[in-house]
Amino acid sequence: MTDTPDISPIRSAVSKNLGARYRAELRFRAAGLAAVAAAVGILVILLASIISGGLPAFTVNQLELTVELDRELIDPNGDGSEESLRRGGYSRALQDAIRAEFPEVQARRDLRNLFSLYTALNATRLMDDVLENPDLIGSRYDFTMPLADDLDLYLKGLLVEDRTLDTGGVLSLAVEGDEVAISSTETDFRELAAELARVLRARATVLEVQADTLAGLAEGLSGTEAEDLLYDADLNRRRAADIRATLEADAGSLTLDASLPSVIVEVEGRAVALTSLGRNGAAATGRFLIGSEPLAAAADWTLYVIDTPAERRRVSDQLIVWTRALQERGAIRASFNTYLFANADSREPELAGVKGALFGSILTMMITIIISVPIGVFTALYLEEYAPKNRFTALIEVNINNLAAVPSIVFGLLGLAVFINAFGLPRSAPLVGGLVLSLMTLPTVIIATRAALKAVPQSIRQAALAVGASRTQTVFHHVLPLAAPGILTGAIIGLAQAMGETAPLLMIGMVAFIADAPTLGLEGFTEPATVMPVQIFLWSDGAERAWEYRSAAAILVLLALMIGFNALAIYLRRRFERRW
Amino acid sequence: MTDASHNPAELPIKVAARDVTVSYSGKQALHNVSIDIPDRSVTAFIGPSGCGKSTFLRCLNRMNDTIEGAKVGGSLTIDGREINDKSIDPVVLRASVGMVFQKPNPFPKSIYDNVAYGPRIHGLALSRPELDEIVENALRKAGLWDEVSDRLAHPGTSLSGGQQQRLVIARAIAVNPEVILMDEPCSALDPIATARIEELIDELRENYCIIIVTHSMQQAARVSQQTAFFHMGNLVEYGPTEDIFTNPRDSRTQDYITGRFG
Amino acid sequence: MSIIAIVALAIIVMLAGGFYVGRSRAIAAVSGATASLHSLPNYHGYHVAIWTGLPAFLLLAVYGMFGPTLVDRITAAELRRDAIVLTSSFESELASDPEILALEEALTLLRARADAISDSMAELRSASGSDRDPQRLEALAVEQTDLVNQIATTEDARLARRDVLRDRVSAEAAASGAEVRALAGFELVHAPRERRQLFLSDVRRIATDGLASRASDELDAAAAVMAHHDLRIRYLFAGLALALAVGGLVRTRGQIAGPFRARNHVEGLVTAMLFLSSVIAIMTTIGIVFSLLFESIRFFSTVPLTEFLFGLQWSPQIALRADQVGQSGAFGAVPLFAGTAMITLIAMVVAVPIGLLSAIYLSEYAGPRFRLTAKPILEILAGIPTVVYGFFALLTVGPAIRSFFAMIGIDDVVTQSALSAGLVMGVMIIPFISSLSDDVINSVPQSLRDGSYAMGATKSETIGRVIIPAALPGIVGAILLAVSRAVGETMIVVMAAGQGANLTANPLESVTTITVQIVMLLTGDQEFDSPKTLSAFALGLVLFVITLLMNVLALRVVQRYREKYD
Repeated sequence: MTDTPDISPIRSAVSKNLGARYRAELRFRAAGLAAVAAAVGILVILLASIISGGLPAFTVNQLELTVELDRELIDPNGDGSEESLRRGGYSRALQDAIRAEFPEVQARRDLRNLFSLYTALNATRLMDDVLENPDLIGSRYDFTMPLADDLDLYLKGLLVEDRTLDTGGVLSLAVEGDEVAISSTETDFRELAAELARVLRARATVLEVQADTLAGLAEGLSGTEAEDLLYDADLNRRRAADIRATLEADAGSLTLDASLPSVIVEVEGRAVALTSLGRNGAAATGRFLIGSEPLAAAADWTLYVIDTPAERRRVSDQLIVWTRALQERGAIRASFNTYLFANADSREPELAGVKGALFGSILTMMITIIISVPIGVFTALYLEEYAPKNRFTALIEVNINNLAAVPSIVFGLLGLAVFINAFGLPRSAPLVGGLVLSLMTLPTVIIATRAALKAVPQSIRQAALAVGASRTQTVFHHVLPLAAPGILTGAIIGLAQAMGETAPLLMIGMVAFIADAPTLGLEGFTEPATVMPVQIFLWSDGAERAWEYRSAAAILVLLALMIGFNALAIYLRRRFERRW
Repeated sequence: MTDASHNPAELPIKVAARDVTVSYSGKQALHNVSIDIPDRSVTAFIGPSGCGKSTFLRCLNRMNDTIEGAKVGGSLTIDGREINDKSIDPVVLRASVGMVFQKPNPFPKSIYDNVAYGPRIHGLALSRPELDEIVENALRKAGLWDEVSDRLAHPGTSLSGGQQQRLVIARAIAVNPEVILMDEPCSALDPIATARIEELIDELRENYCIIIVTHSMQQAARVSQQTAFFHMGNLVEYGPTEDIFTNPRDSRTQDYITGRFG
Repeated sequence: MSIIAIVALAIIVMLAGGFYVGRSRAIAAVSGATASLHSLPNYHGYHVAIWTGLPAFLLLAVYGMFGPTLVDRITAAELRRDAIVLTSSFESELASDPEILALEEALTLLRARADAISDSMAELRSASGSDRDPQRLEALAVEQTDLVNQIATTEDARLARRDVLRDRVSAEAAASGAEVRALAGFELVHAPRERRQLFLSDVRRIATDGLASRASDELDAAAAVMAHHDLRIRYLFAGLALALAVGGLVRTRGQIAGPFRARNHVEGLVTAMLFLSSVIAIMTTIGIVFSLLFESIRFFSTVPLTEFLFGLQWSPQIALRADQVGQSGAFGAVPLFAGTAMITLIAMVVAVPIGLLSAIYLSEYAGPRFRLTAKPILEILAGIPTVVYGFFALLTVGPAIRSFFAMIGIDDVVTQSALSAGLVMGVMIIPFISSLSDDVINSVPQSLRDGSYAMGATKSETIGRVIIPAALPGIVGAILLAVSRAVGETMIVVMAAGQGANLTANPLESVTTITVQIVMLLTGDQEFDSPKTLSAFALGLVLFVITLLMNVLALRVVQRYREKYD
């Protein structure tokens, strides 16, 4: 350590391996810091993945159509009664409106495709509008509805990889039967053709490698297994050879199929999907997706490429092109997603909202507050201020500590066996949910309240007792008010925990699909309902990708509520905190 | 108890302090203390509570480093080498300056492991027999060997208070330090255990420089050769124990010794 | 609502009035010389108010909880009574329909054969020595499976035919102008259990002017019945509550006198109420133990305990006849225990090092500023609902694991695997371990740290050789509590671990746990008496016992540890 020779034997002995010891110290310290960083990092990843997943669901792309509310169609009985209006042909009205946008679509299959731009459930919404305002009948009504979930995701850029290429030449389209011959004065398609050729070559290479691997595997085997493998290998080789042959052929053109990116020429309101690309880079063939008229010369045109191949996505080129056209015409508008808050659950992701679950959570929490807070506070008061030190009191204390650690799902089993089967309370009801969550939250409230009561100094009790107050007066006039902020904080934290709880509610049937929000009244407590966390659970299970975004958005709503609760608890603690 | 043959003035100076000041989070606890402490003798620090004697003691092995917000100024040397110097590593320093605390604090380990703690962390023993020897020597020096030699594997906390304190002393001398600091080592012990420790201190004086902080003036008079009196963060008076107790120069010292305050 | 609300309001008014009356009468009783009252006038007021309000409100609360159920039951009973004629004609139709009779006979025959086979299988199983015949056992097992399938199809056919007959009876009755109420009752009585519930809730919605999921004349008729009963029950409860309030008011008002010990009465009541509240915690535990035990005992009467605890195959979804389940061998819970253990282990491998090291870093190394920021951040992890962790495991971690393994050349990794559930559960447990260990480490006395530093030990040496050994019991307790939490955790595994009851040691496969199976067995339509449902309670009992034991143990260890240093 120092230049001067050390006289003390102990100092020199210690200095000898000091370096290694400090390196170990550094390693240990780094490990500790890494652990903290890991925990924080995971939290950041978790929140980032939920926020990035949830934010897109807060906007929605809406389709605005002018719907002809023809009197005969909407009011079949002609008497304007509710019964008659309920039988109106609202689906038809919507279909007519969308057909007016694309009059060239005639074939049944194409029409069905066209109607999948929105979900049929919107007809019911249209009916509700009409029932609410019968004056609309006979008028042209600007109806707004959410675009189908997949197309909504497409417009948000979450469904496919795509790009638009600029072009330099003058384009002409010539119709030859079903086909469209496309030609440009420049080699606008050349780079694209080269790129696709590279993709195909890579595919051929992969097939060949796979074939070699299969053949290699076959060597170690015999009999039918080896034959099967060799057959597969041969198949792969032949497919690779086919691909290479087409690529080598000079005159041949590249055929675009569902396994390759889709290329769409967009020009003057028309859209043409390319079916093949010429080798010279200036010509191609395709088929009309929108429009049908030939075109002599157009300088202003673009190539729209969807890199995700058609076979790997849920929406066809046709639907994408229609959506783009509608957007171009201003019929699609992105706005804040009010459906998310104004609607209850729905079978269709674009119409599903958290209102029902939110109301269910409110009702459930009300029961939980009404039951767990008073009982928890009373129990804590009894144990801290009244209970004699005997066996029974000790039993209650042990009991509460153990209840705090019982898995929540066991409380669900209790609710199912006792509240539903023995007491005959209704399934799926906020009443039962609230009861179960109350029992679950009780230990938290009791423990927090006891801590708050313990924090009140003994001198205050003695002072009150000394002036002749009874124990009850001491407790209710002096101790309880002083402990109130602590109790409130503990109760809020317990309730926030209960609000995020899912498992016990699954047991008592709060997982049902419920399309109507429960009433926020006395009846609501016994009506079937669901709560926020269960709604998230249900949505995250949905098949469509849009559910993923919907549930992330619901999580954000839930987290916002919980942050609000906790912030309230922190505020109360800061505001009323007293130190003795 | 002071031995005439050990005249403090003849002994070499082990620890020298010049203008040492200490402050905790800006609050000054020690003002410009300067003192020379001789080797192979017992020096006692006395004074009322909060007078800075423990603070000064903790400077000598840089234990103040472990307290957040503590600042030490001035110069402190052991064998003429500055210990607050950057080149001096606190680990090395503490290995050569042992410390015994007010309350016996054996680690929750066996008696053997307690004594072997220092040699082990510093890598002083290369083999098990070597370590056994170090442990035995330390326990013998601390006068504990005869009492615990048959139960070295028992936990250190199973001993009585006085035995625990001697175990802690054994733990400190196992690394063969140059200076041993004792911070009121008998305050938690009964009179019999105290007498035993005082005897031990007297024996250890032969080989070590011992500095002891004590509340008890009788103890200071019994075990030390030099006494330093601290008051309100200042070193008031320092000299041979006999002089301090029989002929104090400062009135504060006199008041304290005669029990007018403290 | 209305009448109940009016009565509730009236009681509140009476309660306030009672307080005032009690107070003023007490003052009047001693003609203003309140010092001669035993209790302050206010206590007389409280006494009257409590007896006026409490019993009445308790009654209203009982109505709030059980009123609708009571109305449902009475309505159902009345509708059933109305449908007696129809029901009996349906029953005679059932008894005379040749197709049903043939199917029932076939069922009896099949069941007899199944019983015989299971008997001989049991005999063969317990056989020893020369009587053993594995081949025949195998053959019998095959035959049994076959029979079970046959029974299931026959049963389905019988039920289908029954439905046809039911619809015919109901259609004929409607055509011959039977009462709508009778038809409603008939529909209710002969609907499957879950349809019955739906029927009643629709009726309730119509009766309270809400919108039902469908509309029919039967529902309207039933709604009329229900509305009638609803009103009657309401008036009954409202009247009773009012009577209780008035009675309480009159009685306690009469008691007021100078020497009356109102304060003692009120305080006695308050103490009793507090005591009763604290008993609820015990009642909850008793409720849990009894409901789990009761249903489990019923389950173990069909499936032997040893088979449940040591059986290697879990497939409760196979629809078998109730008395046959015992022999089916599908209730072996070992795969669930193994899955639970594996996920818990993975979670601990993640949580213990990260949690413990962060606790050590935060309490021994970090500066106060860093500690004040990092600790709440760790606490956030504890506050995130488990369903969010499940979502994260399902949609982020699972796919990430799959693409990671695909990258290193292992292709057939599923998204829902023990690994992703375990990792995410580990993250959930981190704050749990870190905050518990933090407490434990902080309660190691400073004197031990000083002793070690004074010997010249570095920080890490002090931590590793003194603090951790000293804190070990507490840390072990914390880990035990964390394990018990991991074992009981539900949502993460339900969402991320998959459902396959695989007995595997490969964390990349999907496994199932005790909690997942409880959820699977109890969500959706269920008959409460089937062994399938009961087995969920047996699993719940196992879960409860495991976590209870671990908690008791952990709390003991921690308690001892605390005592040592306090």
